[in-house]
Amino acid sequence: MFGEKVIELLKESERNRETLDQYNDEKIRQIIEEMHVLFKLNMNDANATTENKSLWTTVQVRHSALERNKRCLLAYLYNRMNKIKILRWEFGSVLPPDIRELLSDAEYDWFSKYSTNLATYMRSLGQDIGYNGIDLTENLRPPKSLNIEVLCLVDYGKLELEDGDVIMLKKNSTHFLPTSECQTLIRQGILKQIT
Amino acid sequence: MANNYLSISDILVSNEKVPCRFLHDLPKLGFLDPSCTEEDLKAGTSVEIPLWLAESLSSRRPPLVAVDLPKVYKETYREIFNADACTVDLHKLAQYFFELGCYVAKYDIKGEVATTLVNTFRQRFKMILSASVSTDSINALQPLSSSERDRTASAMASEKALSTWLKRGDSLLTTANMVANHRKRKRAEMEML
Repeated sequence: MFGEKVIELLKESERNRETLDQYNDEKIRQIIEEMHVLFKLNMNDANATTENKSLWTTVQVRHSALERNKRCLLAYLYNRMNKIKILRWEFGSVLPPDIRELLSDAEYDWFSKYSTNLATYMRSLGQDIGYNGIDLTENLRPPKSLNIEVLCLVDYGKLELEDGDVIMLKKNSTHFLPTSECQTLIRQGILKQIT
Repeated sequence: MANNYLSISDILVSNEKVPCRFLHDLPKLGFLDPSCTEEDLKAGTSVEIPLWLAESLSSRRPPLVAVDLPKVYKETYREIFNADACTVDLHKLAQYFFELGCYVAKYDIKGEVATTLVNTFRQRFKMILSASVSTDSINALQPLSSSERDRTASAMASEKALSTWLKRGDSLLTTANMVANHRKRKRAEMEML
């Protein structure tokens, strides 16, 4: 039957709507191969229709299958692209190595370009009123207090604060930090706010 | 959303099988019919083919296939749905009951499928709505079709969002969604090893 491999591919990504999967190189290669075969068969039969009129039906069936495969592959790539966009907003411009290896080379290129575009845009914001850039990935909620108490969830290492103090972020240590300094770390799951 | 070219859920819907009758001979395509032993498919054979193929072949001029209704949309099942739609296990019967229904309704000349779809949706939506505002009764529902599960999830999410909003945004800063999920999955993989 036509187009079954491509459905497996899509089911895989439908199951994990919230996370990104490994880019499935092998399966995509197989699907494109299947499309090449279909195309060749169609080409031969289309040339032969002059002698054998009844072949046109077969050509049409194969043509629908080709279009279907194309649609599914495009949908797969498009949905991954949307997830990669979210990666930029949630993980920041530098991806952790385990996330980085889920992307194909072309996708990583796209990520870098998107990241640069976004950074350029954010730098350009507010220049007319004297700011040099606003980081849109910060301050998603209006801050309620200047300092908050946080619990460190991983061994992160040293963190230098804006006033020059250096603190050591160790697992299970608690700190009382300025909200503006730790919200990115909270978004990245390194710190957790406790009341 | 529903007819979007790039929507994965729409692609999965159009992968559902519908019964069709071929109106022309199809040379070399005997493999479409599992019970056929010859190389060619003869006109008049009835085969279950995926909806995407059926849609594209029946819209050609002249059409290559005549599409028939899948059995859940036939008279017998319609009677069940009209009697009490809430007791039907849509998860087992038809994962994409409503979406597939929208596609095949046009092949039903009398238009009864469309009425059944609307009635079924109305009855079941009421049930889902009242169940999703109180989280504990959600498991007591009959298994839902896949779009109904999405609808329940978003009903619960917006219920939660409302109660956060009522607290006037006075809530803790949290980890970003995808970061948290990736971490959960990684932990599960580590535990498996």
